[in-house]
Amino acid sequence: MDRRNNRRDAEGSSVITANRLLDGRIVWLAADGQWSPHIRNARVYSNVEIEDALKEQTASAQDNELVGVYGVQVSLSPTGPVPVTSRECIRAGGPSVHPDFTPEWQERPAVSPA
Amino acid sequence: MPLLENGQIKEDNWQVAIEGEALPSGDVLVPLARLSEGLGRNNDGRLGVVLNAGDSVEELRSALPRLSSIQVTFPIFRDGRPFTQARALREHLHFEGEIRAGGHILPDQYEFLLRCGVNSVVVPEGVDAAVWQKAHETFSVAYQPSVLNEQPEGFAFRRKLL
Amino acid sequence: MSHAPHSSLPVGHYAYDEVDRTFLKQRVAQFRDQVERRISGALTEEEFKPLRLMNGLYLQLHAYMLRVAIPYGVLNSGQMRTLAQIAQRYDRDYGHFTTRQNIQFNWIKLEDTPDILALLADADMHALQTSGNCIRNVTADQFAGAAADEVIDPRIHAEILRQWSTLHPEFTFLPRKFKIAISGSPQDRVAARFHDIGLMARKDENGRAVFEVYVGGGLGRTPIVGVKLRDDLPEEDLIAYLEAILRVYNEFGRRDNIYKARIKILVQALGVQEFRNRVNAEFVAMDRARYRLDEKIVAAIQARFGVPDFDPAGQAAEKLIQQRKADRAFDFWVRTNTHAHKQPGYVSVTISCKPAGGIPGDVTSAQMNLLADLADQLSFGELRITHLQNVVLGHVRQDKLYALWQTLDQNGLGTANVGFISDIVACPGLDYCALANARSIPIAQKLSERFASPELQREIGPLRLNISGCINACGHHHAGHIGILGVDKRGEEAFQITLGGAADQDTVSIGQIIGAAMSEDETVDAIARIIDTYLARRTAGEQFIDTCRRLGTAPFKDAAYAPA
Repeated sequence: MDRRNNRRDAEGSSVITANRLLDGRIVWLAADGQWSPHIRNARVYSNVEIEDALKEQTASAQDNELVGVYGVQVSLSPTGPVPVTSRECIRAGGPSVHPDFTPEWQERPAVSPA
Repeated sequence: MPLLENGQIKEDNWQVAIEGEALPSGDVLVPLARLSEGLGRNNDGRLGVVLNAGDSVEELRSALPRLSSIQVTFPIFRDGRPFTQARALREHLHFEGEIRAGGHILPDQYEFLLRCGVNSVVVPEGVDAAVWQKAHETFSVAYQPSVLNEQPEGFAFRRKLL
Repeated sequence: MSHAPHSSLPVGHYAYDEVDRTFLKQRVAQFRDQVERRISGALTEEEFKPLRLMNGLYLQLHAYMLRVAIPYGVLNSGQMRTLAQIAQRYDRDYGHFTTRQNIQFNWIKLEDTPDILALLADADMHALQTSGNCIRNVTADQFAGAAADEVIDPRIHAEILRQWSTLHPEFTFLPRKFKIAISGSPQDRVAARFHDIGLMARKDENGRAVFEVYVGGGLGRTPIVGVKLRDDLPEEDLIAYLEAILRVYNEFGRRDNIYKARIKILVQALGVQEFRNRVNAEFVAMDRARYRLDEKIVAAIQARFGVPDFDPAGQAAEKLIQQRKADRAFDFWVRTNTHAHKQPGYVSVTISCKPAGGIPGDVTSAQMNLLADLADQLSFGELRITHLQNVVLGHVRQDKLYALWQTLDQNGLGTANVGFISDIVACPGLDYCALANARSIPIAQKLSERFASPELQREIGPLRLNISGCINACGHHHAGHIGILGVDKRGEEAFQITLGGAADQDTVSIGQIIGAAMSEDETVDAIARIIDTYLARRTAGEQFIDTCRRLGTAPFKDAAYAPA
């Protein structure tokens, strides 16, 4: 795992993220314990408590069909947590060069095979 | 740990030398550093050597006629040096005894091992031989020659595997 | 007049037979089983990762990314349509051509991947060894089999190497990835000396191939120009000698540090002479007969390549001259986007995938289908992907160019910028890539817009601009006359500029960083000032790279960091 994924300050807040095993999509651990595609639903942990939460989530990653569980440092805004790095902002919002490919992006109805 | 050979799980009758202890009688595998000690035993059983991934097979050249088994060892499955060691033992040193592979190995690597001249694999207790056999039977063709000298399949370097 | 292939063999690449097709089906079944074992937990992520990578499947920033192999960059129209189908059905309707002549899809699901690989296998395609620490897709000259200056068609030997390296039992878990390029022209169009092994083929007095062998070149964290290991390797020893090189690398290459694991580090650490001695010792000791590349083998592989059935030149050249006179925009496109063909009346056409403001190398499924149709109509059904992320139609009759250009232009593929500053090479960068430090695409878009004017680009002349989003250098920034490297400044994106790189065999050089990193907009402005400096300081007819070499980086550095 990339070291940057675990680069957090001693203080401040973080959220927990992962990729789903089956489709690779980015998810965030929400307050209700579910994994949401939207960072606005993410539960915010203080950086003091996040290590224990990460340990627990990493241990259950296979059962939850997740890979690469890690913590992301955020600042808090009225619309929810905002990552402090460009990288995590792009993860949370989708590629900047395709404004339509947000986490809300839905597949078109499947095209039947030719 | 048991040995997988020709699709069968069998008991391993070899003992592995224990560091700091005298070599036991019977068939024994020694590390390269204890090769001369092993060679000094008095017809006490067969002798084998456990190679680390960083060892040079050339160091076995003179002792080779007296060795019955050589183990190549994967510190982690991604470390591919044992493939080269096994192939060199067959191709350069013409070793005809057992080459076993030990350490961290995936069934998905089994066919590569066989084609590099390995004939048995040290596997964990309770392993499902069928998974390994399936890996062995996955492909019916290979695209390059190997020390097994398989039959050509059509043209170029293709070889029949099954 | 029909340009359909005259036989059942595809033009320009190896035709699979039933043995090859069976192999691919078995490979798909193997991966399906591996995916099931991963989902069940029988394989851990750590164990599964190298297995999926060797099928081209990465886990990137937003999703899985699948990289499909296009061996030596050549594919036929049917294969291109299969890629379009994958883009449409399994991705978000586009694909990205890479600097290894492959294509990658950015929004793939693990659970769909076995089905996608099956679809590819039905079209004689695969994703084998497009990643992982193995021998990667062998790249070749994009004008192979067409270029007027070609001595040997490198695709035959590239195919032989592709087959030999496919699931090689000894070389599938190397210390690190391994890249081979092969050229059959004296003019190196494959960046041979920036590869783990670069091969330059020529003919001996008997007409058989001999190879110059370069080893230990590469970009990435430690850019190094490859050194010549052999000047005159006979064709029959090609496989044996490459086996020897790979054996030495597999045994002695470093495995303790991923950044020092490429063969270039081993060559530097041992010194060229000692490295050569070890390779030669292996070569002398090995069972050479087993690996001998017999003439019959070469002939058998060559016999499975379709060749174009050219029409007589007729008045094609004269007609083209008339059309160029009549339409200046067309004339300019012909000058930049075509390459001399050995067959009278024909040219090779480079279709730019770099429109102003576009994403370098991205094409939609509709464009892929159009390219396939154009290949059928105009180039014997054959297409090539270049390592500079464009598409080539290899064999187009000169009197068909005008209609081709008009069609391309109507579909966003008619940009006349090949070899110019807006023909930018860029990796996917931080918009997609899990390794990236900074985004490569937005800065490429800004630069191609800044220099969009055809007149300005013509004024500037030939200039290679390459962008990498991190030090791994997938955008080959060190090989660009101007290079841009994305860096991470405490979580913020920033960019360094390199100057003076070049990938041509005889004048190969590594670009040098000129100073501290800047923001995206500052970098775009700095490059504009660098270009102004070049225009002001160049001598008559002097190209950017030559001015750069003559003056050194100092005046450009001063311009780049001049206060606004």
